[in-house]
Amino acid sequence: MNLAIETENLTKLYDGSAGCKEICLSVEEGQIFGLLGPNGAGKSTLVKTLVGLVRPTSGSASLLGRPLGNVEVRRKIGFLPENFSYHEWLTGRQLLEFHASLYKMDRWTRKSRIPLVLDVVGLTGAERKKVKTYSKGMRQRIGMACALLPDPDLVFLDEPTSALDPLGRREVREIMQGLKERGKTIFLNSHLLSEVEMVCDQVAFIKGGRIIDQGRPDQMGADGAVVELHVDVVSDGLLDKISPLARIVSSGSTTIRAAVRSREDIPELARAVVGSGGRLYRLAHEKVSLEEIFINLLKEGD
Amino acid sequence: MFTIFRFTFREAFSRKILLVSIIIAAVFLGIFGTGVHFAVKDIARSQNQMLASIIYPQLLLFGLYFGGFIVSFLSIISSAGIISSDIESGSIQAVITKPLARYEIIAGKFLGQGVFLASYAAIMFAVISSIIYYKTGMRFPWIWQAGLLFMLQPIVLMSVTMLVSVLSSTVASGAIAFMLYSVAVVGGVVEQIGYLINNLYLKNGGIVSSLIMPVDSLYRKIVHIMMPANNPLSAIQQMGPFGASAEPSIWMVAYTLLYVLAFYLLSVYYFSRKDI
Repeated sequence: MNLAIETENLTKLYDGSAGCKEICLSVEEGQIFGLLGPNGAGKSTLVKTLVGLVRPTSGSASLLGRPLGNVEVRRKIGFLPENFSYHEWLTGRQLLEFHASLYKMDRWTRKSRIPLVLDVVGLTGAERKKVKTYSKGMRQRIGMACALLPDPDLVFLDEPTSALDPLGRREVREIMQGLKERGKTIFLNSHLLSEVEMVCDQVAFIKGGRIIDQGRPDQMGADGAVVELHVDVVSDGLLDKISPLARIVSSGSTTIRAAVRSREDIPELARAVVGSGGRLYRLAHEKVSLEEIFINLLKEGD
Repeated sequence: MFTIFRFTFREAFSRKILLVSIIIAAVFLGIFGTGVHFAVKDIARSQNQMLASIIYPQLLLFGLYFGGFIVSFLSIISSAGIISSDIESGSIQAVITKPLARYEIIAGKFLGQGVFLASYAAIMFAVISSIIYYKTGMRFPWIWQAGLLFMLQPIVLMSVTMLVSVLSSTVASGAIAFMLYSVAVVGGVVEQIGYLINNLYLKNGGIVSSLIMPVDSLYRKIVHIMMPANNPLSAIQQMGPFGASAEPSIWMVAYTLLYVLAFYLLSVYYFSRKDI
């Protein structure tokens, strides 16, 4: 599998203090990758370093197989900045024309792409209005249109829904899903954990400038999760077999709830039930929300 | 680079400062034209050729000096935020991340703003020269050279302002550019006084100020090109704060061009390394 983003010990220090430190990330092509972290954790610094707004202090990174700083690869990269500030004296259409020129798009491509991205972000009909008359949500949408203009293979979205209402957020999620279906890679930086949980294939948590954990959102919560087992009958012998592998939270006549230390203990748990002669009808770990994982990780670090 | 050039040129027309500068220029040129009209009428009525030989050049000097001041004002005000305001607003973030090198952004902005300011200066110079020519009949054989130097004045100021704009805030770059312009203006007057009373310290003070900010020496060069010292009244014509008792050498013009180039290259260098 090709990597859209790869970083190795990528570090950016501001006056000796860390913006982000020794970041090692691998984002596969076609994934939606979520970066999570509290304010001041280094999320924006990492994004800015990757898109070329700041120069790394040390380490290396590559985007779509090209080293950081390569200008030509940017033709395939879209970026929605967090503050989405654009030249207000332009109309929406003129702004997109300007960005199309910056992407060195030819006239025919522009003619087809501009109406398309306007339609995707829901701004068709508003393109003749000046950007200064746009609402905050519309500005974020035109920013998204600029990012999608070159039909990029890799898109960096820094808080893409911060100014949008719930309907707008859903639309952005749909845009991201649509891009993913077309094999595009999305690097999403967001505070909205539920949003990240809904769309991301991979997430990483950053704190104090360092990545403290990363993985698939549906698997990350398995460590320390409570597992529910439905068996034919709960016997003392069965409980004795399970006890070394997991802490028994509760047990009934046919149900046991036990907390495992890591997700690797879950198959062992199933083996223990079957090995003791029990009949296992159902095994499921209770889903832990990304928010709980996020808060637990932050507490662990303190 | 040409996208940034075209964009910067267009952006210059969208700024309120252009409207203010046009109004100020229109008011100035209106007053200047009216003043010249009535001054020439009075002198013609008196048929005093000597008076005409002294006053007509003074009218030209007055026009070029204050015309240059308005052009410089526009140059500093419109260039103060040329980079910094885009950084402060965040609008540069979506531009830098596009497939173009950072030096192209500086080159495009420099060219766009430079062409805009040079055009404004050219119009100002053309109107002032035309008023003097049509009202007084004064002829200017080297007018193209003088016009080009007049157009160079705002570019000198812009190059300095752009560098400060890369390194600092909009307010700071405007303030620093105005301070440097003041040094040049005061230095030019001090040098004139130095020649008037033959004081070496004052003359050297003027030279040093011209090296710090050569915009005033450009003005003195323009004055000499427009009014070459080829008649017995030249010394009188060049007296006063708007005259040029000594002609700056061609090396001063060469220094000015290198000065602009140096500030441009420094802007490229620092912007290429700047964290946004």
